[in-house]
Amino acid sequence: MVVRLINKFDQRKARELIESNGFKYEEKFDALFGVFENGELVATAARDYNIFKMICIRDSHQGGGLLGELITELINSCAYSNIENFFVFTKPDRCLSFQHLNFTPLVKHPKLCLLEYGHGLQKYLDGYQELVKPGRNGAVVVNCNPFTRGHQYLIEQAAAQVDQLYVFVVREDRSIFPFEVRYRLTREGTAHIPNVTVLDTSDYAISQVTFPGYFLKRDDDQQLIQMEVDLELFGRHIAPFFNIEKRFIGTEPYCRTTRIYSETMHKVLALYNVETVQLDRVARGDQPISAFRVREALKGEAFETLNELVPATTLNFLRSVQARELLHTLKNYQRRH
Amino acid sequence: MEIARKAQAGTMQSSDLMVFLEPADDLRIEIDSTVKKQFEHLIKGQVEKVLAELSVTAGYIKISDRGALDYAIAARLETAIRRASSQEGA
Repeated sequence: MVVRLINKFDQRKARELIESNGFKYEEKFDALFGVFENGELVATAARDYNIFKMICIRDSHQGGGLLGELITELINSCAYSNIENFFVFTKPDRCLSFQHLNFTPLVKHPKLCLLEYGHGLQKYLDGYQELVKPGRNGAVVVNCNPFTRGHQYLIEQAAAQVDQLYVFVVREDRSIFPFEVRYRLTREGTAHIPNVTVLDTSDYAISQVTFPGYFLKRDDDQQLIQMEVDLELFGRHIAPFFNIEKRFIGTEPYCRTTRIYSETMHKVLALYNVETVQLDRVARGDQPISAFRVREALKGEAFETLNELVPATTLNFLRSVQARELLHTLKNYQRRH
Repeated sequence: MEIARKAQAGTMQSSDLMVFLEPADDLRIEIDSTVKKQFEHLIKGQVEKVLAELSVTAGYIKISDRGALDYAIAARLETAIRRASSQEGA
């Protein structure tokens, strides 16, 4: 029988089982489950929001029904939390076991497979069917935390090079500005460009934060693999649906993560006949405009500077009552992105 | 009976199925199965039969099957419908 592992003692047993299988134990999860037999923990599995992870079954208990039992509990716990789409990252040789549980493979990478339960991706795309335009289209994927004149410039430049430009705003809420605000400000800030469509990435942009690396080896570059998986997903499923032939990205001189991302993008998207186009960032003063600079200016309540960095649509929001609360959070916040 | 709220029943064990129900204006049946190619029409037939017996005319019915037999499909679906209906005691 599958039970929740709640106390420290049981969780330590789960850690031992996971580590004895050569995986890493990650502290970050919403629910941890296990199966005991004669007082011994023989299997374990965890859920971190919409991702199933740390699924481990003792060798002696492989091949039975334990995986099915664990997955049932994980699915039930999603249903109670109203989570619709859920995913599992696994080693390529385990991909088939999950396909037998009605998971659909989304990305097959040499080091790992990404599968989802159900047909969330297809439904996501079907929901945008009406917005698909023929022609040579382009895409940008942005977080817009918040929307700046830099974003606006990038989108204007990109839109001029394609028939239709799709702007995907990252749905995942790990930023100071919540998705609804980021999405709205992006729409408002691009409303004057006729061939721009603003969309939501839903769960189909993989972030570093949600990417579990517990089954990767220590010397695998986890960050790089995560980027490759994210770009494979875009190139294989999203780009062909929207007739996307170009993906635009701003040059990023001082953030290492973003620079590696753009290098990887060239490499991966070329396989799907999507060209990566780098556009120079627009500068104010001697530095390019970045959302980071905006957040710094906002902390100091330097509205003069803000006026130079963000369009009027964003500035109106930053001056609103709704923004006061965010501002308060921002002042106590230290992360780079 | 009416599907008044979200409900589910079953497991992902081999020879079993999971049924997920959601309220909807029309009737939509979605079937995922490890034996979809061979048996989708039979699974659908069985689902429609149970829905007719319980006079369910609307709802989003999602089946995730791992090769369940007819009576398992009927039992899991009926359980889920009773849980989803406004009456208590399923």
